[in-house]
Amino acid sequence: MSAAIRTMIRTFFWFAGAALAVFAQQGHPLTGTWSGDAGSASGERTKVTIVLNWDGKNVSGVINPGPDAIPISSVYVDYSTWTVRIEAEDKSHQRIVAEGKLSDIGSYHRTIAGEFQRGSAKGDFKLTRD
Amino acid sequence: MRKLVWLFLLAAAAHAQNGFSATYDRDRQIKLEGPVTRIEWVNPRAFFFLNVGQENWAVEFGNPLDLEKEGWKLTALHIGDVVSVDAIPARGDAKQAFAKSVVLARTGKRLFTPGAAKKPAALHEPAPRWPDGQVRLGPAPGKKGYWGSPSTTVLMESGVKVAVNDEGLLKNLSDADKVAPMQPWARAIYLYRQRTLLKDDPFLRCLPPGGPRQFQTPHGFQFVEQRELGRILVMLGGGNRNWTVIYTDGRPVGQSGDAVLTYYGTSVGRWENKDTLVVEAVGFNEHFWFAIGGLPHTEALHLTERFTRPDLNTLKYDVTIDDPRTYTRPWSASWTVAWVPDEDIPEYFCEENAESTFSR
Repeated sequence: MSAAIRTMIRTFFWFAGAALAVFAQQGHPLTGTWSGDAGSASGERTKVTIVLNWDGKNVSGVINPGPDAIPISSVYVDYSTWTVRIEAEDKSHQRIVAEGKLSDIGSYHRTIAGEFQRGSAKGDFKLTRD
Repeated sequence: MRKLVWLFLLAAAAHAQNGFSATYDRDRQIKLEGPVTRIEWVNPRAFFFLNVGQENWAVEFGNPLDLEKEGWKLTALHIGDVVSVDAIPARGDAKQAFAKSVVLARTGKRLFTPGAAKKPAALHEPAPRWPDGQVRLGPAPGKKGYWGSPSTTVLMESGVKVAVNDEGLLKNLSDADKVAPMQPWARAIYLYRQRTLLKDDPFLRCLPPGGPRQFQTPHGFQFVEQRELGRILVMLGGGNRNWTVIYTDGRPVGQSGDAVLTYYGTSVGRWENKDTLVVEAVGFNEHFWFAIGGLPHTEALHLTERFTRPDLNTLKYDVTIDDPRTYTRPWSASWTVAWVPDEDIPEYFCEENAESTFSR
């Protein structure tokens, strides 16, 4: 490759088009606030907010931050498939397990979608990073 | 004589924000011939537009600043000139290409080739110094100059030899583990970025190149040493002409826990033996890629940078990257940057032709 094209390619990286994605979080892809809904396909959907943070060893977080917050007990990520498994226990000691797939990882508004179980109830969820 | 390679393009907004490989298909070649209908000698990418049959193609042919350094002027080409172009087409259906060669039909002259201007060889002179003997990182009094081309545009651990292009794309993705000691998540996101041809790089949208990347970008940088104020300004030539401040007033390294994290972080420097500036930088946000090629980082990033100037024309940059949330251990990289004598950093803005060229 010639020096000219090398210079050109380097310069190319300075080009920017219109403003699309603004300041996406570019670190660990789970870190941040995620919002969406969950429920059964035929039933009522419930708004869900999850806040996740990577500390270098584990992902920790909380479901629905505020007075009714549910602390997340574990988050497991399979980085080969970007599958995420979140476990928690609500105030009535019902176990919550949600497993979904992280998609569009490079986007600010990446998503996690999958299925969950809370006690005996099952359904699906979709979260988008705010 | 350097082999000439230039490209041409047909503009399509969908490609405007992507990197070179994400925009152009290097495996294809096309020939275009026709009259020029418009010329945009505008940063960061110069284009001319060409009527080819019933189609109007946008042909990218270089960066105006680089073309001017090579001795070319806007007047080399005129509207109405018929040109023949060998080019790399854009991916998809865009009427856009990157010129490898441009030949003026009426004269057969090849335009916009490198090497039109002969540059004098760099003089071997000692680094300029302050009266107390400390090395100057900028020009000597009464002189001009700035730091230009880095010896590499790619950040990888010192001593590693893997095939990588100037965009930071690995020839073999199996080499990813050699680039840096990444944690599993970091390796996964790095590979994702490589596989998607770096299309999500915030740099392509003019967001700042914090960290070591600021010393690897086109159009250079300059140090302005304000000794009386206890600080050094690092003025960047690329992007949107950002700057960084390195405090040398003896303040402690770091920042308060509630400080807002930034693209360039907080930098504190000290001199060792009047020859080496050692800088500790922390407080980076996660809104940018700190290296070409997609290596990730987190807010835990801590850089230790060492700047030395062994002679007038050479700046040596060594950096140790310590981000325990991203990498399994601290690791280091280094490169040199060449002095551009007798010139100031040229004016350059990274979004100058975004609308005019790509809003068609």
